[in-house]
Amino acid sequence: MGEVIVITSGKGGVGKTTTTANVGTGLAKLDKKVVLIDTDIGLRNLDVVMGLENRIVYNLVDVIEGSCRIKQALIKDKRYPNLYLLPSAQTKDKTSVNPEQMKKLCEELKEEFDYILMDCPAGIEQGFHNAIAGADRALVVTTPEVSAVRDADRIIGLLEANEMKQTHLIVNRLRMDMVKRGDMMSSEDVVEILAIDLIGVVPDDENIVVSTNQGEPLVGSDTLAGKAYMNICHRIIGEEVPYLDLTEKKGLFSRLFGKK
Amino acid sequence: MDNSVIIKGNNHGITVVLDAALEYDKLKTAVEEKFKDSSKFLGSAPVVLGFEGRALLPQQEKELLDIITESCELNVVCLVDTNEEREKMYEKTLSERLMDISAASGMFYKGNLRSGQALTFESSVIILGDVNPGASVTSKGNIIVLGALKGQAFAGFGGNTNAFVLAFDMAPTQIRISDTIARSPDEPSKDEVKEAKIAFLEDGNIYMEPLNKKVWNDIRL
Repeated sequence: MGEVIVITSGKGGVGKTTTTANVGTGLAKLDKKVVLIDTDIGLRNLDVVMGLENRIVYNLVDVIEGSCRIKQALIKDKRYPNLYLLPSAQTKDKTSVNPEQMKKLCEELKEEFDYILMDCPAGIEQGFHNAIAGADRALVVTTPEVSAVRDADRIIGLLEANEMKQTHLIVNRLRMDMVKRGDMMSSEDVVEILAIDLIGVVPDDENIVVSTNQGEPLVGSDTLAGKAYMNICHRIIGEEVPYLDLTEKKGLFSRLFGKK
Repeated sequence: MDNSVIIKGNNHGITVVLDAALEYDKLKTAVEEKFKDSSKFLGSAPVVLGFEGRALLPQQEKELLDIITESCELNVVCLVDTNEEREKMYEKTLSERLMDISAASGMFYKGNLRSGQALTFESSVIILGDVNPGASVTSKGNIIVLGALKGQAFAGFGGNTNAFVLAFDMAPTQIRISDTIARSPDEPSKDEVKEAKIAFLEDGNIYMEPLNKKVWNDIRL
């Protein structure tokens, strides 16, 4: 029996989709059978980040409306045979799906997959309720900015109100140099405000931009962000992994001539 | 009221019910009168025609058809024999005819199609603008994009395998012609030149080629 995990944040642009793509790919790397569901109907982009846009024939709304079977709509990843994507519809809107239907879909997918990751849309309207309807646990993504933390707090409250069994926090796009200077909240500061368990800290890494543009998740690669995402995956399946040292290692040149 | 000739309509055509007992010559006159009377009502729609109620020789059928086309404005696309699945036949025949017509006639659309926009046309379509990734154009006929095609194009929707897709800058995520789907390569080749290309269906595969004389010769509208 699989587990349904919703990746949510409240605020837009903090990295839900990137996190979904990387955590999903990472879990597939750990030999789990994974399906990613893009629940952002009308503004789909998980397929783009995964580099699978050109394979879309059917989508989530087609499955819900019964115009195709689930199997037909699932897109097999080009790198990992045990990773699948259920893309969202681009031309419909959030009201074409309701929470009960999502719950039913999750129940069906649980039979066959180890992990079902739901990429939640920004906001707290119907799209959010659709995404969390069938979820067993939630990963709340936030960046160390007051606006994102405020929205994350609101989301955690809503998740509690909806009786989410497990909620974990991912602090994304952390910049150690700024934290050291005291210009940015540290992950500890964020955890203190939100008072939920941390499951991962991902540094701000320009490799993410490259990987997103190329449609290749960087999880597991030799980059700080890649390692951080892989650690999150290990923690999701229940392993204990120490946190990374996120202090950026500068090249020889900048170490010699760079400012301190 | 003379009931020797009755006109029945269905969704895709009309059935003419003929009196089996009436003499053939009288029947001809009756048909002529009936259609002349109903000419205004029937209009000039394209229809499929069928006869019922009386066995007709091919020669007689042709005569009656001539009388009908002369007595009214109806555009009889074809004649169907009596059989139980008449209506289905009508539908199929009409849709096939319309498919030919839809490929040969067209519409213009001016503007860029952006992500999430989806347009569907009954006829061929010429887009004066770009089709961005995430947007889609569907047509029963051909699709011509006088700009960049980066989204989806679905030509020959409904089964026309002769349909084609043409674009000035051909970089679609997906092309469908009739029931065949082709997707873009995962690794786009860097040195590809921007040039007008045409995509067509041949032996169950979709091919994309630069425009040249040979391609033009192979195109059937």
